Amino acid sequence: MAPPDAPAPRLEHHTLERYENVWFGIAVVLSVLLFVSAIASFLSGTYTVIEGTGGGGHHITGVDNGRLDPRNLAATPFAEPGLRENADGTLEAFVVARAFAFQPAAMRVPAGRPVTIHITSADVMHGYQVEGTNINATAIPGQVASFTTTFRRPGTLSLICNEYCGTGHHNMINTVVVEAPETQAGPQDGTQP
Amino acid sequence: MTISPRPATPLIYPIREVPAVSDAAYLASLKKVTQYYIVTAFLALFIGVLIGPLQALNYGGVNVYDIPIVKALLGSYYQGLSLHGVLNALVFTQFFISGWMLYLPVRDLGMRINMRFAWFTYALMTLGLLMAAVPLLTGGATLLYTFYPPMQGDALFYIGAAIMVGSSLLVVGQVVNTWLRWKRENPGRVTPLVAFMSVATWMMWAVASLGIVVEVVALLIPWSLGLVGGVDPLISKTLFWWTGHAIVYFWVLPAYISWYAFLPRHAGGRTVSEPLTRLVFVVFLLNSVPVGIHHQYADPNISNLWKNIHMFLTFLIAVPSLLTAFSVGASLEDAARARGGRGLFGWTLKLPWGNAIFSAQVLAMISFIAGGAGGIVNASSTFSGVVHNTAWIPGHFHITVGTATTLTFMGIALWLIPHLTGKRLPSMRLASWSVWTWFIGMMVFALGMHWQGLYGVPRRSQVSAAGVEAFNNLPIALPTLLTAISGVILLVSAILYFYVLFRMLLSGRVDNGETATPIPYSEAISPAGENLATAGKLVRATEPLMALWLVALVLVLLMYGPVLARMFANMQLVPGWRLY
Repeated sequence: MAPPDAPAPRLEHHTLERYENVWFGIAVVLSVLLFVSAIASFLSGTYTVIEGTGGGGHHITGVDNGRLDPRNLAATPFAEPGLRENADGTLEAFVVARAFAFQPAAMRVPAGRPVTIHITSADVMHGYQVEGTNINATAIPGQVASFTTTFRRPGTLSLICNEYCGTGHHNMINTVVVEAPETQAGPQDGTQP
Repeated sequence: MTISPRPATPLIYPIREVPAVSDAAYLASLKKVTQYYIVTAFLALFIGVLIGPLQALNYGGVNVYDIPIVKALLGSYYQGLSLHGVLNALVFTQFFISGWMLYLPVRDLGMRINMRFAWFTYALMTLGLLMAAVPLLTGGATLLYTFYPPMQGDALFYIGAAIMVGSSLLVVGQVVNTWLRWKRENPGRVTPLVAFMSVATWMMWAVASLGIVVEVVALLIPWSLGLVGGVDPLISKTLFWWTGHAIVYFWVLPAYISWYAFLPRHAGGRTVSEPLTRLVFVVFLLNSVPVGIHHQYADPNISNLWKNIHMFLTFLIAVPSLLTAFSVGASLEDAARARGGRGLFGWTLKLPWGNAIFSAQVLAMISFIAGGAGGIVNASSTFSGVVHNTAWIPGHFHITVGTATTLTFMGIALWLIPHLTGKRLPSMRLASWSVWTWFIGMMVFALGMHWQGLYGVPRRSQVSAAGVEAFNNLPIALPTLLTAISGVILLVSAILYFYVLFRMLLSGRVDNGETATPIPYSEAISPAGENLATAGKLVRATEPLMALWLVALVLVLLMYGPVLARMFANMQLVPGWRLY
């Protein structure tokens, strides 16, 4: 055994290579595990997935392959922004982002029921971000972003534009009002979808 | 002292020295063009950085944009922010890298290059910068550095930007051509490590830049000139992120070159393994670009299959950075133990923390550990919805490009400028203060911004002037305060750094840079060897960079082709707007 004051031996090739390989293995396993967990999260629906086709499952008048003409929103359901209940009992909302406000400015949705939300922009890019949730979608002119979510707890949430859209960008903040169903009134605010 | 003395004990492998250049006029010209790139870069950083504290104050809840002088100089928060982003993230990085990664491989290979072409490239890049600067300064391109259409700027902005970015491809051409000539003149030889890393990085950038070049040249310039009626914002954004994510590797790989090849020498240690380092750069060449869609989880009309594939590839690209952390960590431990360091962590105390060249780069690496971890959060579709486009994101990239890259370049300049010019660093003490305060300021900034972002405060928004109550109810008093304080710390740091830098530049020549401050090559524990015939498998597999470059291009086309083809098939042109 070396005396305590002897100079420590310097690192050499073989030791390093061994540690290198172990570290490399850890790095690869870590990356794969991360991917597997993110996919598990995707499949189990723990986050709001933006629909790849924009259509949200069924055909929307005036929208083809998730595209529409932003100069002719009148020919689409975006002409009347807001929440509606379909004949089959599902809830569907149409939201238009335009400088510098969302329409509707205060969208009322019931707590505890799935809502499919479709968003488009009438001018430049905007961002649709609901405070305290993981709802985060880009509003792109000519394109429709769709997703389905459930607001769990009643309350008034800020709806924030998070994509630069011009001089009034910082004031482009509206609300989503989550209302308690008749049976279950609660004063608390904040929500987790 | 900017470089450690050679170890007293005989070396198993000699430390590399640059091949001598006999033509003094040629060497002077090569050094001068490099110096022009570096100084132009720092002038851009100087202006860009001075705007930064105002933005930190904005996120600290203090609105300074109604003060007449600020209004007169910057126009608006958004115009100032556009300048800050373009100058720091695009101009500073590209000019520094163009000088750094032209000079290094040319010297490393000992080749002669056409100086007229090199000067032409510099002049063209600067011309592009000046053209783009006009609309940026006059409020004709307040688009932020992502310039997403259909927000429209003056045509001059897009044309200038295209010329500037396009010029970097001329550097790619010159460096790759120089390397190929070296290969022809030196058959059977292994490319030396510094040249190898530089060439691989330039090749990656060539593939990466295609996205933004096509976006600007084919789509945005004709649109801004009124030659076409509209633009498809999703196609543009997708092409932007083809380049926009890989550009972060274009920013950090030149720093990695220094961490691998030169940093050990500043500390008196050795590069761990040249073959492994080559592997890391090849993985970056292959895998840096087909990952950009992880910036677009929030976007519609991109299938979730492709979003998940790009997520997987993004996680994979973390592996070479983790290998870098291992290798550079080991080379620092090697240095510290050679200086008498002891213990599991005690050795860290033996590192030369008072040497700003060294500490800048190690602090940059420490910052990158946090930044890289945050990057994995951003890249995962699960968390993206929580952090996308919130203040978290600028918090993230100020400790990656804003510190890992910028602080490394700041440290490099402290030896590179003496090497190029023969001038001396006026004060190591002031330089040290500047790099430590930069690190602390950025850490505080990042803490404040990440924290605010988690509460939903959006990025690049003039929140201090928001007329609505949305942010008043959030529990963000502390992170807001931290962000404001960080702006002041960083202002002090910048003043110190630029005082040292400009004093150095304005002083007289006293040394011969070649001998007084040589390129600080390090000894290697496992060198790659000089001859391919006797080299290991890994060295031989990584040597054919031209073939690997082609593979990289094919991979990108495979990973982006189907996504873009579908977008072009459903193209939806929309009109432009100027809402600033």
